[in-house]
Amino acid sequence: MQICADNFYFPERLTVTHRLGEGFARVQLRIRLAINRATVRLTCNMVAEEINWPEALRAADNAGAVTELRATLLNGLRAAFAGRGDVSDAHLEDFTQDALVKILARLDQFSGRSQFTTWAHAIAVNVAFTELRRKRWRDVSLDQFTEDGQRFAVAVTADAVPGGNEDSDRLVRALRKAVAEKLSNKQRAAIAGSLDGLPFDQIVALLGTNRNAAHKLVHDARRALKAALAAEGITAETIRTTFAS
Amino acid sequence: MKPLSKEQLAGLVESVVGTQDQELTCTECQQGISEFAERQLASQPLAEALRRVEEHLAICPECTEELLALKKILEAGK
Repeated sequence: MQICADNFYFPERLTVTHRLGEGFARVQLRIRLAINRATVRLTCNMVAEEINWPEALRAADNAGAVTELRATLLNGLRAAFAGRGDVSDAHLEDFTQDALVKILARLDQFSGRSQFTTWAHAIAVNVAFTELRRKRWRDVSLDQFTEDGQRFAVAVTADAVPGGNEDSDRLVRALRKAVAEKLSNKQRAAIAGSLDGLPFDQIVALLGTNRNAAHKLVHDARRALKAALAAEGITAETIRTTFAS
Repeated sequence: MKPLSKEQLAGLVESVVGTQDQELTCTECQQGISEFAERQLASQPLAEALRRVEEHLAICPECTEELLALKKILEAGK
């Protein structure tokens, strides 16, 4: 780093961007110039500050910030997926690149309620899991999805309820009846798919709808089941006691 | 579809009895998940908006999976 002083003029505060080890920080040089007779004393303090990421990423010359963010995200994904044999470093590089594009497009959505890097890591994690889930479940057919929905009610059996007492039998009967009578075919298929681990994005695609409509469909289904159980006198407390035994 | 396991049935009834009239979608949960993760790791209290994130996490295995991964990243960076 070089400071030119041909005219012997120093600004009171000089800010430069400088890479510090693994991090990316803005270094502020606070310069005090004291002249006492023939003596010139220059005091220079370096204060490392966390960078304003949105500002750095929006800047015309954002190459350094983008490079730093890419490295930060990749390191984060490596930590998150450490030990998973089904996720290679090449996958992580791809997820990082996709996440970076999303982050740059969504800078206006960063509210500042968390660290910027935490917000960015959350997007990268979402990108990674969305893609991994899509690959894992891409072969599920609409027929299988629909069929599972049709068999949902009979898949609720007393074997899965601990205790085997009167309460658990009543719960199973009420739940089977509610699933059969209160839900539409699409609602049964969506909830059955979810119980089988089918990702929500995949459910949305199989339903042939959008995320908001699918969310409402599932929410309405859960509300209907809750009301049906309550009508049978089965409360949250009853259920929790049953499953805790 | 195979008969539900004990874990599947427990998950189903938990999500049913935990149903609220107003719930966040996964997209809305994602908007608060970074603040939620930081506060949880710092053992700080949750504001009302983050309580709703917490309610969503209780019924959404996908968002919970992502929260755990995010917390792993934050802990690795300490």
